[in-house]
Amino acid sequence: MIFFKDVSVGYPRRGTVLEGINLHIGKGEFVFLTGPSGSGKSTLLKLLYHELRPSSGEVIIANFSSRRVKKRKVPYLRRKLGIVFQDFGLLENRTAAENVGYALEVTGVPRSEIRTRVPRILNTLGLSNKARSYPQQLSGGEQQRVAIARALASEPFVLIADEPTGNLDPEISQEIMRILLEINTLGTAIIVATHDYSLLKGREKYRRLHLSDGMLVYDGPVEGFRMPDNSTGAQAAGEIT
Amino acid sequence: MLRVFKEALLGFSRAKTMSLFAVVATGFSLFTLGLFVLVLLNMNTLIRRLEDKVEVMVYLKDNADMASVGMAIEDLGRLEGVDQVRYLSKDEALERFRADLGPDSDLLQDLETNPVPASLSITMKPGFRDTLHVRQVATAAGDLSFVEEVDYGREWIRRIDIFKHLVGVLGAGTGAVLSLVAIILISSAIKIAIFSRSKEIFIMKIVGATNGYIRRSFLIEGFLKGALGGSAAAAMIYGVSEAFAKHYVQITRFPEDYYLLTVLAGILMGLVGSWISLGRHLRRV
Repeated sequence: MIFFKDVSVGYPRRGTVLEGINLHIGKGEFVFLTGPSGSGKSTLLKLLYHELRPSSGEVIIANFSSRRVKKRKVPYLRRKLGIVFQDFGLLENRTAAENVGYALEVTGVPRSEIRTRVPRILNTLGLSNKARSYPQQLSGGEQQRVAIARALASEPFVLIADEPTGNLDPEISQEIMRILLEINTLGTAIIVATHDYSLLKGREKYRRLHLSDGMLVYDGPVEGFRMPDNSTGAQAAGEIT
Repeated sequence: MLRVFKEALLGFSRAKTMSLFAVVATGFSLFTLGLFVLVLLNMNTLIRRLEDKVEVMVYLKDNADMASVGMAIEDLGRLEGVDQVRYLSKDEALERFRADLGPDSDLLQDLETNPVPASLSITMKPGFRDTLHVRQVATAAGDLSFVEEVDYGREWIRRIDIFKHLVGVLGAGTGAVLSLVAIILISSAIKIAIFSRSKEIFIMKIVGATNGYIRRSFLIEGFLKGALGGSAAAAMIYGVSEAFAKHYVQITRFPEDYYLLTVLAGILMGLVGSWISLGRHLRRV
């Protein structure tokens, strides 16, 4: 479903941001993408939603290849993706329901369908009583839930979350994680980039990708993770690429 | 399409301050331009009225042969720019002189003989009432054997020429500057309005809106803002034009077509401004 084939991203001034990434993410998988700030997590996610194209190699997501997809086709890819950001990315002058409906509106979903779909999604995320609230009337956790609702509105096959809990306190962060895992059980693949490793606690069975200086240094279950400079541990895990 | 339109209206009402700024900038710029055009139109009217007074007076010798004069009238009438050649007999000329003098015409009461010569009054067609053409006619008339003297208000015409030139140059210069200011003001207002919504554009793109969709909604907004600004400008120009017409009888009013033109100019600026400032945002994938 998602393939990275020897993907590198470099900028003339900043140098290499990602180098030689190879990976495959299957249907309905749940993946943590970890690594310190600046290790290339956001860049990797941008490749997924084609905000960015690789300098070399190929990114394939669904039937969109970074090599062949035309610029004007990119919006159609994005309609199959749900994207959530650290800063929520809600429009301040629209209510929660309008924010969710907006995602459907711009892609040309009929109004009648929006009217039935939005309350259903809001209900799924426990936001029914906040439908008419504006973002500034909502707590951070609620705002992120609205953002997740919006990402899910188009029924994506994968939800991409870039530091979704970065602006939230630990308790709310855990709640957001629980929501993401629950969504995953319904069949949507989820990729969560985070440098908050406490989120991984108790989720040892899930897959973890770890980036360091633009290289994928670990790809395996959370529980087997060792830092690559701890070579014995890493080799023991047998997962270093 | 209707939905996109509705969405644009909503977007407009949501970003009130910025939208208002764009409308006010458009309205104010076009109003200033309109006032300037109004002034220019009145200057032209003034020039035309001054030019209406341009006339070549050809004074004939007392012994002029009427047959030759008749032929001369036809010849002069064929010269470039000549509108009409009129013969004034001694009596008619005296009458006219009397009228010109007005209250002072008493002075002529005691005359025993008519001292005023018969003359030809030559008027020029509009567009030929300048030094060049008038002098040609005056020279041709002066060359006739039975002509005593030619008078065409040389100084008067020269002044009109200078005035016309001045209005032309100042008008074009000021017009260019005003237009430039208007374009800069309106385009930056729109740029700011769109920049203030770069987050919205980003979200639109993230949820999969096509560039066409984004462009369409912003162009419709640009259209609305431009139309609103243009209409406001037209209304203000109308107010000023009518107020002046009421208090100063002889003002040339702002032509009706120009009101439509003002609104159209607003719309055009709104569309072009939106298109250009959006382009920068949309080029990025």
